[in-house]
Amino acid sequence: MAARTLPKTDVVIIGGGWTGLAAAYELANNGQRCVVLERGRYRHDATYFAGPGEHDDLKYAHQYEHMMDVSTQTLTFRNTPEQTALPMRRLGSFLPGQGLGGAGIHWNGQNWRPLPQDLQMRSFYVDRYGEQFLSDDDITVQDWGVTYEELEPHLDFFERVAGIGGAAGNVGGEIREGGNPFEGPRSRDYPNPPMKQPIATTLFAQGAAQLGYNPFPIPSANLTAAYENPYGAQLHPCTYCGFCERFGCGYYAKADPIICIYDRLVGHDNFEIRFNAYVMRVDKSSDGKTATGVTYVDEDGQEVFQPADIVCMCAYSLWNVHLMLVSGLGEPYDFRNRTGTVGRNYAYQTLAAATVFFEKDILTNPFMGAGALGMAIDDFNTGNFDQGDLGFVGGGYIGSTQTNGRPIAYQPTPAGTPGFGLEWKRAVRDNYNHSGGVLLHGSSVASPSNFLDLDPTYTDVFGRPLLRMTFDFPENDRRMAAYGLERVVEIVEAMDSVVSYATVNRAGPEQNYSVVPYQTTHNTGGAVIGTDPGTSVVNRYGQMWDYHNVFVFGACLFPQNLGYNPTGPLMGLAYWTLEHMKNAYIPNPRPLMDA
Amino acid sequence: MKFSRRAVLAHIGAAGLSAALPVRSPAQNAYADLEGRPWFFFNDEQARFVAAMVDIFIPEDEFPSASQAGVVDFIDLQLAGPYGRGEGLYLQGPFPESTLPTQGYQLPYPPAELVSRGIEEVEGGQDGIRLVDRDLAGREAFVGALSGTQQSPVAGGFFDEMLKLANWGYFADPIYDGNRDYAGWRMVGFPGAHAYYLSFVDKHNVPYPVDPKGIAHVPGEGPAEFLETRSREG
Repeated sequence: MAARTLPKTDVVIIGGGWTGLAAAYELANNGQRCVVLERGRYRHDATYFAGPGEHDDLKYAHQYEHMMDVSTQTLTFRNTPEQTALPMRRLGSFLPGQGLGGAGIHWNGQNWRPLPQDLQMRSFYVDRYGEQFLSDDDITVQDWGVTYEELEPHLDFFERVAGIGGAAGNVGGEIREGGNPFEGPRSRDYPNPPMKQPIATTLFAQGAAQLGYNPFPIPSANLTAAYENPYGAQLHPCTYCGFCERFGCGYYAKADPIICIYDRLVGHDNFEIRFNAYVMRVDKSSDGKTATGVTYVDEDGQEVFQPADIVCMCAYSLWNVHLMLVSGLGEPYDFRNRTGTVGRNYAYQTLAAATVFFEKDILTNPFMGAGALGMAIDDFNTGNFDQGDLGFVGGGYIGSTQTNGRPIAYQPTPAGTPGFGLEWKRAVRDNYNHSGGVLLHGSSVASPSNFLDLDPTYTDVFGRPLLRMTFDFPENDRRMAAYGLERVVEIVEAMDSVVSYATVNRAGPEQNYSVVPYQTTHNTGGAVIGTDPGTSVVNRYGQMWDYHNVFVFGACLFPQNLGYNPTGPLMGLAYWTLEHMKNAYIPNPRPLMDA
Repeated sequence: MKFSRRAVLAHIGAAGLSAALPVRSPAQNAYADLEGRPWFFFNDEQARFVAAMVDIFIPEDEFPSASQAGVVDFIDLQLAGPYGRGEGLYLQGPFPESTLPTQGYQLPYPPAELVSRGIEEVEGGQDGIRLVDRDLAGREAFVGALSGTQQSPVAGGFFDEMLKLANWGYFADPIYDGNRDYAGWRMVGFPGAHAYYLSFVDKHNVPYPVDPKGIAHVPGEGPAEFLETRSREG
């Protein structure tokens, strides 16, 4: 039992990252008293992320100073349900955050919108190719239950909050040169212009255009101009310093939850945040219809119960699902019987890429980088091309980015180079300033044998069972990655000044998903959104079917993963949910949809 | 009793390593000025083993070898500190014998213990000749054999750990006592921690000729100067 019960608050919010602070801002300014519980410590761009101290490759990029501590809590992993899952003993494939701002302080800042067909993935493919196209037992893709038109104002608002720089491709149905012609109609242009492009990404864009594709600058939360956001936050132009992913930005030049939201909220009478407050569970009422609040361990190691009228689950996607499972919220997914929803439809991201080696007169200066610096084409994303004969659903953008030249990890070497020794050393030196990359950033379909549940053996330091992840690349995505990599190679071969290239396909033949090499921090699903309680954990407003005062945020809502980075879509969903909380739920608390 | 790092490494030369004594300018910043103190973690034999191993990973050419660039000192410091003690590593059991490569590291040892056990296990090699007693070709064969076949989980984990640490030590900021005189950064042309490229990023194919500078604000020598120094000192 909890040692201590605090006075009740209107809203308790689990997690102080992008979604948690957005929820706190919107609800505090709507008159609700909000308490945010953040498991990590206080930190701030001005005092904690300033250069040159922040530009410490070893400390932040390789020893994960800003990320979660897996010695406190981790997950176990296996590829298939027949195997025994073992703990992810150190971070690798993905890097969830911990501390004020969450993973939002060490994101790259690539900010996309979902395509209209992404949000209606099942009906889109059934309409286009017939029911049998999705009859594959390997695939459980479904519609989101919310449409692009409904999300558009909220996607637009987050672009304002983060000051996104980009080139619009479709404003109100009018297609614009230089933008993404496949994007859904936007109500207006991006708030800021696109980033400047270095030579490597320019050569990619030229090669892609030569093949008839439609290159455009990647939409970027690395700021391109001095900017004030709708909350009054002042942001500065990006310096292209090359310390973006895995680092906080001391220049106030990468939109993050601290400078964009927290600074404009702190001091508000309705806002309180507690640090080092590790949430153990969501507590339920005796009638089983609502949550009563949450129990957390405070910085002195004491259990505290925080009662609340509304619970917002704003932890990282994986830990939202874990909290539901250890709290007994919703029905856990049972792989054998295909019943239950919590933990179902876990998905990831499917990556395949070519490292490109240029002629020696091409000087790429790779250290001049930014997290969202690059060019992309969307010609091979979900539904943007004819897939009738290809045998897979989904797709991805193909892009060339220049994020950094930090030499501990940035060591492009041609195929066949040994892993150490004189030849390796020579290859690293010779290619460092003459290389680039082209990446397929592919979607990830949901599949019955990819899921999250609780581990029977291993526990966290609090004694709770660890989350157990079961995941491998579904056959659909292996076909998609193989096809996408062929397109990548065609573009590379059309690019000027290319001497050679080396490819890697994470979902290639004989390749099982591994938690060791970094891929992306894009873990999705497990608590998905929808209109059918049999296949979703929350209704289309992000409200739990079973506990109407619990609202869920983040990428755990995605029924399957997009061919895009998740922050833009999940923040669009967050503002959509918050609008319905303010306008419909709070005035009259009840289930917003009939089950 | 105190051992000079220089003296310990000198033994390697006596044992036939092609590399000469590490070439070091006077300590370049307050953080790296650790010459003359005892090892924090290694004993002398371990240090000699590690120096021989990391110099197979990163041998001397126009640019310094790993040990010449301070990588042994870097690893010693890392293993003596929070990283070596396993900070940020989940070490709860059980530890089953059978694991999948996709599940990553599954040994019960923090990095410092893994390295001690690894040296102990692989030292002596396949034919009983110690690494430091071999000639260059013999050392290459010894280290190559460790990378190719996984003798045991400890040997495999040890090899991976040493390769990672050598790479970190050669390319991390010099405040951690490796990457001396910016050896790694000069080799590839990385300007370092002071980074402001707003007006340069879209100048295509233009060299960016600055000397590297780390977190401690110490300017680096240019490549030409460095090579001149090296040839002068033999």
